[in-house]
Amino acid sequence: MKSRLRENLRAYGFLAPALLLLGVFVVYPIVGTIIISLETQSGLGLGNYLEVLSEKSPSKALVIPGNLGGPPPWGALVHNMVWILVHVPLTTFLGLMLAYMLIHVYGRSLVKSIVFLSMIIPMVVGGLIIRFIFDSQVGVIPRIFDTLGVESLARTWTAYPETSLASLILGSVWLWLGFSLTIHSAAVDSVPRSLIEAARIDGASEWQIFRRVIAPAVWPATLTVMVMTLLWDLKIFDIVYAATQGGPGGSSTVLAYVMWLYFARALDYGRAAATAVILTILTLAAASYMIRRSLRG
Amino acid sequence: MASVRLEGVVKRFGRATAVNRVTLEVGDGEFFVLLGPSGCGKTTTLRLIAGLEYPDEGRILMDGEDVTYKEPKERNVAMVFQNYALYPNMTVYDNIAFPLNVRRKEIGLTREEIREKVLEVARMLQIEELLDRKPGQLSGGQQQRVALARALVRRPRVWLMDEPLSNLDALLRVAMRAELKRLQKELGITTVYVTHDQAEAMGLADRIAVMNRGKVVQVGTPREVFHEPSHIFVATFLGSPPMNILECTIEPRGGGGVVKCPGIERPLQWSPGGVERIYLGVRPEFIRVERSPGPGRWEATVEVVEPLGTEAVVTLTIGGAIVKAKVLDEGYRPGETVYLELDWSRVQAFDPETGRAIGELARTLRGLAG
Repeated sequence: MKSRLRENLRAYGFLAPALLLLGVFVVYPIVGTIIISLETQSGLGLGNYLEVLSEKSPSKALVIPGNLGGPPPWGALVHNMVWILVHVPLTTFLGLMLAYMLIHVYGRSLVKSIVFLSMIIPMVVGGLIIRFIFDSQVGVIPRIFDTLGVESLARTWTAYPETSLASLILGSVWLWLGFSLTIHSAAVDSVPRSLIEAARIDGASEWQIFRRVIAPAVWPATLTVMVMTLLWDLKIFDIVYAATQGGPGGSSTVLAYVMWLYFARALDYGRAAATAVILTILTLAAASYMIRRSLRG
Repeated sequence: MASVRLEGVVKRFGRATAVNRVTLEVGDGEFFVLLGPSGCGKTTTLRLIAGLEYPDEGRILMDGEDVTYKEPKERNVAMVFQNYALYPNMTVYDNIAFPLNVRRKEIGLTREEIREKVLEVARMLQIEELLDRKPGQLSGGQQQRVALARALVRRPRVWLMDEPLSNLDALLRVAMRAELKRLQKELGITTVYVTHDQAEAMGLADRIAVMNRGKVVQVGTPREVFHEPSHIFVATFLGSPPMNILECTIEPRGGGGVVKCPGIERPLQWSPGGVERIYLGVRPEFIRVERSPGPGRWEATVEVVEPLGTEAVVTLTIGGAIVKAKVLDEGYRPGETVYLELDWSRVQAFDPETGRAIGELARTLRGLAG
């Protein structure tokens, strides 16, 4: 009994430095943020949350119900959700598809390296590149639409409320594709070649092999990519800051950017903290699903 | 069912030639085994027939139709892989139904008809109760049956098997071997089977092609390749233990001649032109070991005894050469002096330069028997 107690004490001794660091740099800031978010002039309460949620100005609003049928701004929270709905499936699917197609390609490492380049670019630089890609003078995308005769899309995407959010989302697909491709490539490479060959002999087309053999076999990797992408989309800040500053007219704001506006521009720490807590709750929900799954796996 | 013909097929991987001018003919309904050591090109040959690889030279014909550059699915072949290659995310039912489901529209089958076909092969292979399980929940033997069922369900023209029994334990392997042969004979499907296991090849094949270094060395019935090897490679690859090869000379002596092997001399009733080197081959089964000397018996020393139950493999030294004999286990001891007697009616002769069998000489040597 005594020796067990001593062993426990020893274990806690070893854990103490890590716990101390976690306490100072993780637990304390979280608890501090929650407390700040609850502080109002009339004492502790949910005032900051109510104000943040009911904010009407397009640059800081989380939801603008009146605009939902038309073009953005729809509110930062809705923008985040749209981002997730478009970005997660697109990045996941393209990464998986590319990974499968590349197993047939000679020199695939080079292609993978080029796609992965986007991952090592700092996101702020990535944001600036997105601005260039969608610029009417130098950008490739407006040029393509110009050639096709689609005038409404042949202009600078980041300068118009109708297209600024779309430009950021599509740009983020390019920035994040390297991650999806890398994870999926490793998973696809680990699928026994004989499974693909068996399917080929069984008469399956390439699409059937992809859909019925490869995709199910790499599902755990796909799930990881989806959850990681979702978390990234929830926390997205840097490319918005660098490319559009949430504009024009709040048409490309996101939760993290709104939080930054409250914190650094309005110096309203209570509302900044309330936005941060909302963001953390959403992120935690996604992360806990992932952790639970990986624990089960 | 179909006949398969390979004409001068060559397959190179970079500088290495995996398959070198292979010409083969597999008859309709035949069980044909490609046998050889690792890296001899047998699996590549099978993959060429399957359409998983395309040859650099030569042609592949099925029922006279040139399929050399056709896609695997256009050839209507089925393949059983060494690791079974079952789709892990699908149930056994879906695995078996897969070849039918992926071309359901093409072959015009309803789901009900597919179900009937799957149940039929499942019954044939006694795996009906496994249909709802996933491959991960099955034993090696059960996975093997599922793989066979999947290869059978659409009644392919040719059944291709790449060492399908090598992942099973010894007992199960023997049982599956018998079942495979029964199934193949019952259904009459032309089968090309790859293995490095000679016992498997001998037990299953109607005909065997023995391969080495990308080439076919000999094609024949199991009896032919065992008893009449056309090359020293076949002689030393087949048999357990393989054929003994003795470096001998044939010399003229007096009016006749003599064949001189290490520790053995045998007069010949004809005179060779000069001294000739030959390799004399004799299977361990055709050597008798006696404890007493006598005419036609040659002194040898026992080195190692490997008991196999009623029989034993005895390794002996005779005139500096090592010879193995497979005899009844009569308690031979290492160091013991014994006397060998060769069954001269079963000896083979090979050219030391080319390794090819010298049939005429072998027949002459055998003629001395008795």
